[in-house]
Amino acid sequence: MKTYIAQRLGIGLLTLLGMSIVIFGMLRLAPGDIVDILFSTGGYVNPVERVAIEKELGLDRPVWVQYLEWMRQILTGDLGKSYRYDLPAWEIIRPLIPVTLELAVLSLIVSVALGVPLGVISAVRQDTPLDYALRVFSLAGLSMPSFWLGMVIILGLVAWIGWIPPVTYVSPSENFWLHAVQFALPSLAVGYRSSALIMRITRSSLLEVMREDYIRTARAKGQSGSVVIWRHALQNAILPVVTVIGIEFAFLIGGLVVTETVFNLPGLARFLVEAILWRDYPIVQNLVMFIAIVVIVSNLVVDMLYGFLDPRVRYGH
Amino acid sequence: MTRSRCMLLVPVLALAILVGLGVTPAAAQTPKSGGHLNIMLREDLSPGFAVHESSTISTSFPSMPCFNNLVVFDQLKRAETPENIVGELAEKWSWQDNYRNLVFFLRKNVKWHDGQAFTSKDVKFTFDMLREAPEATAKLRINPRKDWYANIEAVEAADPSTVVFRLKRPQPGLLNMLASGYTPIYAAHVNPATYRTACIGTGPFKVKEWRKGEFVDYVKNPDYFMKGRPYLDSLRYVIIKERGTRVAALQSGQLDVSFPGETTKTAAEQLKKAVPQLVITPVAQAVSDNIIMNTKKAPFDNPKVRQAVSYAIDRRGLIQAVHQGGAVPGASMQPKPYGVWGLLEKDLAVLPGYGKPADMKARARKLLGEAGISAQNPLRVEMATRAIAIYVDMASFVINELKQVGIEASLKQVETAQWHAMATRGDYQIGANLTGLGVDEPDANYYENYACGSPRNYSQYCSELVMKMIDQQSQELNPQKRLQMLATLQRQIEEEAARPILDWKLDYFTFWPYVKGLVPHDNIYNFGRMADVWRDK
Amino acid sequence: MATRPLGVEVPQVSVGLRRPGAWTVLGRFCRKKPLGAIGGFLMVIILLTALFADQLQTHDPIATDAGQSLARPGADHWLGSDHLGRDIYSRVVHGARVSLIVGLASTLMGSVLGGFIGLLSGYIGGNTDLLTQRVMDILQGLPLLVLALVMSAALGPSIPNVVLAISIPIIPRAARVIRASVLSIREMQYVEAARAVGLRHLRIAFRHILPNTIGPFIVLCTAQLGSAILVEAALSFLGLGVPEPYPSWGRMLSVSAAEYAQKAPWLVLFPGLAISLAVFGSNLLGDALRDTLDPRLRGA
Repeated sequence: MKTYIAQRLGIGLLTLLGMSIVIFGMLRLAPGDIVDILFSTGGYVNPVERVAIEKELGLDRPVWVQYLEWMRQILTGDLGKSYRYDLPAWEIIRPLIPVTLELAVLSLIVSVALGVPLGVISAVRQDTPLDYALRVFSLAGLSMPSFWLGMVIILGLVAWIGWIPPVTYVSPSENFWLHAVQFALPSLAVGYRSSALIMRITRSSLLEVMREDYIRTARAKGQSGSVVIWRHALQNAILPVVTVIGIEFAFLIGGLVVTETVFNLPGLARFLVEAILWRDYPIVQNLVMFIAIVVIVSNLVVDMLYGFLDPRVRYGH
Repeated sequence: MTRSRCMLLVPVLALAILVGLGVTPAAAQTPKSGGHLNIMLREDLSPGFAVHESSTISTSFPSMPCFNNLVVFDQLKRAETPENIVGELAEKWSWQDNYRNLVFFLRKNVKWHDGQAFTSKDVKFTFDMLREAPEATAKLRINPRKDWYANIEAVEAADPSTVVFRLKRPQPGLLNMLASGYTPIYAAHVNPATYRTACIGTGPFKVKEWRKGEFVDYVKNPDYFMKGRPYLDSLRYVIIKERGTRVAALQSGQLDVSFPGETTKTAAEQLKKAVPQLVITPVAQAVSDNIIMNTKKAPFDNPKVRQAVSYAIDRRGLIQAVHQGGAVPGASMQPKPYGVWGLLEKDLAVLPGYGKPADMKARARKLLGEAGISAQNPLRVEMATRAIAIYVDMASFVINELKQVGIEASLKQVETAQWHAMATRGDYQIGANLTGLGVDEPDANYYENYACGSPRNYSQYCSELVMKMIDQQSQELNPQKRLQMLATLQRQIEEEAARPILDWKLDYFTFWPYVKGLVPHDNIYNFGRMADVWRDK
Repeated sequence: MATRPLGVEVPQVSVGLRRPGAWTVLGRFCRKKPLGAIGGFLMVIILLTALFADQLQTHDPIATDAGQSLARPGADHWLGSDHLGRDIYSRVVHGARVSLIVGLASTLMGSVLGGFIGLLSGYIGGNTDLLTQRVMDILQGLPLLVLALVMSAALGPSIPNVVLAISIPIIPRAARVIRASVLSIREMQYVEAARAVGLRHLRIAFRHILPNTIGPFIVLCTAQLGSAILVEAALSFLGLGVPEPYPSWGRMLSVSAAEYAQKAPWLVLFPGLAISLAVFGSNLLGDALRDTLDPRLRGA
């Protein structure tokens, strides 16, 4: 087990390295840089001033030097300075993390709380009207663009009751209930979407398992239906579900981008989009690496569980 | 009662009702102290409060409460005329030597937000830095309005309360430029780079916190030089990037004041319907839609082709189609009654694009025919515009118009990051553009946008005649004569069609009725000091 | 269902029994999986709409008409018009074309490439598998939308670039699904039997394993198609997707729609419904196909 973890961590590090190169390269591929944007807020371009600013920001050095400099900074724990805000990147990113994390976790909870039970019911009552209704409901959530759902919610609220959730972040210590309301709607919106996939996977893996011989054998042996389901079926059906939850987490972050924008929550995802549009390299690079680390770790955890739970597909076999 | 007595009662009753409703000038109401306001911002400040390093309202508007100018346009009056200029850091000023020297007598006992005293040293520091004087003790990273101060020979701070601007030649328009929201006074003892992250000013409010991407919090400056002001205790400028959410926030009362230039006519109608008590004031923005054409490259180096473009675009049609009526036609200066120097309607009527659309398009086709372009031999060009909805809508309409005269334009959307570089480099054929004018002053406009070699003269347009006319009007001391000169200049520029102006946009500035003392100007860049604003609830 | 000799599970496809006619299969499918049939029907409608957009439109989708700004749905404008007077119905109809082209192209590109990588990686195993998985991890480490965003910003807004930007994040996802499917098939007895008999690896990979990944592959495609359409919508919404003048459902929902939504809710309603229906249809179809093509062969 220990070598397994060490192996995976080592590989994870390699992956991160590869990703850093990819993101670094792609960003610099994008036409226009921070200097162009600074000039565009000034409304003109002056080549002499441009050279000076490039020098000040270190953009005049060769690309591989900049990359090494970035790596060196990360290793010393320095996340660099935001080009846009002229402040340490960590200082700007730090307050955003709890917001996105909270939203992601709440959404995940909603999606599991909604998805798993619906999936089970749907599988058990396969091909009945209830099954169809639940699947339609669940799929509707998956099919709606998350920003559309958010927009409709906000515009509907203001049109019908003249009220919308707070547009500035309310921390739980300031006002717990207002904070809860502020996060409830976006979590529900994102969670509803994610729940669809979880419901679907729960349902189909449960169905698959239920057809397995050993289940039929257990049934033939006379074990009661629900015992069969809950003890044997679910145990094995959980496997792909766990995988999907892991995948979902990364999938969620994509959905958070538009949700945070529409609901005006000051999170990482929304900030990332801004930073990309501003070519704020330090912020984008470090944020993306952060997201990557989170995703890799969750993938690792999921894969370990996967290998743990399904002896047939243990890693390295 | 007899009938005649009844009749008498009516006007008396009416008067009583009017008085009862309090329909008296706002100034007659007694301002109350205290309270907080939430003001709309549509994007984060960039870069911060460094007004001298930016040309965007996203920096200037939220920075207004922090700063003071030497002089400013009266915040309580809508029109930005020379008569409405009032002193802030300057108590009195006077032109001397036939508008060659401008002397300011500064206010005493004014303090910076960090406690240091304000003196003439700060004024000299600011303007030496702006005009990039050899003796300047600081340098701006980006200096978009250097041209405004090109005529200043020297700035003398003989004693702590007097500043003298010595000009190379007479320029009455300088005072207007000093009154713009783009001309605050920086502190001499502060590194200008600091303004990108924090704000040390002398203004009515101090920055309490700037949470990036979220809001800017201001608190009342207790040492403000105007006693009794500001009335409000605090301000919060809330950043909301998503348009629908912005509107919803204003409508639901989470925002008290809208952002200048944000509310279109249709949006205003919608808001009014949903919340009838909202106060909506249509004002001009000093922002124009215009077409830039690269005069150094074919096909737009041919003035006939340019004129054809100008003739082809039905100005009133555009105003209706793209702005639903929320704009006004005008030439290169904002038209009356919104601007001081603009052309009158009767003068506009004879310019390209203002007559009957069918006639105008026929003339356009004729001009193009002379250049060898027709429906059988169409001209194919690429129209560049910024990848933002308001630009794209306008560009789409223009493309449609051009199609009808034989110009096939395809739309090319350019990301903001590359737009100015592209335009300055001349890396385009034709483009749909918006231009904001920091102040209704011909010198600011023409030297920036039409002078030979100016970086913001995107059309690379250079006409000796027009340059002479610009210099001439800049030195003209008699306002009437200057007005006439400008009329001729505007007509000339529209004829040469290097940068046809399509319209001047209106803003339907909106705020809740309990917001008092906030008067929007016919220019989005020069109001918002917030010192006279108070809450009635 | 094919009958199975005791102990050895032979998948239907490889055995080559007499196959029932296409229409019979379709009819059976519709009866057994009505939801899937509905999904398929929706997709067909959208496909036809996309193909015959020019014939189905009532107005030129990019023509503006000031007098008809924000007109209510009615005889003249079936689904109303936007603030520039453009007909929403015609724009929705043309939007189908854009969304389908972008969605299908990126899905197929990404899934085929990714599936191929996953097949080889899963079958060969060992260090190749390790390395490939790492590379896939790199690409997958980023959420779909974020990667597409960066790519879109890097490449600039145009239809081919959007297709590329969306297909690249699909590759690792496809690879992962196909690989998992291959892994579970690989361990099955009939494959071991084939190996024992001495069949060459490539033959095994292509003759036996590949046909059985087709099920999961089709399911993957329909699922990713939904994703692709949604990502395209999100990109267009954020301003980085399909540029003017092509009508895009996502872009129809940005800026102006939200601004005028209270006066003209149809601006927000119809494009959003169109997106939802398209994705819904593809998901329903995918679900039903998965159930039909023997869930036993489905990968995780």
